[in-house]
Amino acid sequence: MKKAISALTLGLLTSLSSFQVMANQASNVTVSDPYAREVPPGAHASASFMTLNNRSDHAIKLVQADSTVAAAVELHTHTNDNGMMRMRQVQFFTIPANGQSQLKPGGNHIMLIKPHKPLKAGQTVSLQLQFEDGSTKQVDMPVKSVMQNMGKMNHDMQHHH
Amino acid sequence: MNSKKFIFISALILIVVLSIIVIVNESKPLDNIRNSLYTQSVISEKPSGGNFTLTAADGKHSLNEYQGKLVLLYFGYTYCPDICPTDLGNLSMTYHNLSQAEKDQIQIIFVTVDPERDTAARMLEYTNYFDANMVGLTGSKKEIAQVAKQYGAVYAKAEQHNQAKQNANYSVDHSAFTYLIDQQGQLQTQLAHASSPKQISQLIQMYLSKKQISNQ
Repeated sequence: MKKAISALTLGLLTSLSSFQVMANQASNVTVSDPYAREVPPGAHASASFMTLNNRSDHAIKLVQADSTVAAAVELHTHTNDNGMMRMRQVQFFTIPANGQSQLKPGGNHIMLIKPHKPLKAGQTVSLQLQFEDGSTKQVDMPVKSVMQNMGKMNHDMQHHH
Repeated sequence: MNSKKFIFISALILIVVLSIIVIVNESKPLDNIRNSLYTQSVISEKPSGGNFTLTAADGKHSLNEYQGKLVLLYFGYTYCPDICPTDLGNLSMTYHNLSQAEKDQIQIIFVTVDPERDTAARMLEYTNYFDANMVGLTGSKKEIAQVAKQYGAVYAKAEQHNQAKQNANYSVDHSAFTYLIDQQGQLQTQLAHASSPKQISQLIQMYLSKKQISNQ
């Protein structure tokens, strides 16, 4: 019921705000710190993470992502259900007005399913993000290993000892 | 014209306020669950833990073999796109920052909850990637279920939203704790998903120094 109300209000909000003329959504979104994760051998999916910043006064929905590096690209989220990590496909990520949406490990992420070639640290991959109004934005990102912060960590640990 | 504008604006404000109320109400219980998870390092109904024997690429391995070492036990699967690489990556980073003497006193074990796809050979290839002297174990569905039960790990094949896509690409929902088993083979505590290398390292140091004290 609550969900229905919130969906309804969201719907109303969107339709009301569309009275106003808006610049295309892609131009109002900036992307910071994007990266894709190096895939361990044999793994069938990788994930891409980034921070999406919305500098407009309206919430923007990221509705799709595409890439030539993987057979399929989907938007996914994780919920932590009493310690059980559940991953599910979602239809969109909402970037709040004048706010940001973080895609990060354990939360929202863009899944790169069945990469055509193994993603290796040092490579660059491109993603095309598509927003609700159909506008698109290309994001180039480095591939990083899950163990990429090792150097930094070493440094910290030396101070510790 | 002005009154129209006024109605429009008040309606908008009303909708915004309503949605905020709805959003706040909805997020509360989730936050509570989250807080209780992260603050709780020892589970209230503590699973018994205990010995088990499963299969690695080089044959059978039992937990008992590692007595005298601190064991970090993780349940996951190799097709896992995000959760397992995060936790195993953090464990690996922790391992790399230990001294050789400390490395010799710990053992990381990765048990699959997806024995259908994770063969022993596949587990070996996957654990080698993390370069942390990790042992990858698999077994029959029954064996895995028994070990998971001992440690309180839960998992289930995710239902697939698209019937047409039902194939080998299923994902597995699973708990993502790292279990810490002391040098005597006793389950001591568990680390939450995405515990940082610093947090893991502190816990390891604590248990390694405990051992030194008890040896004196």
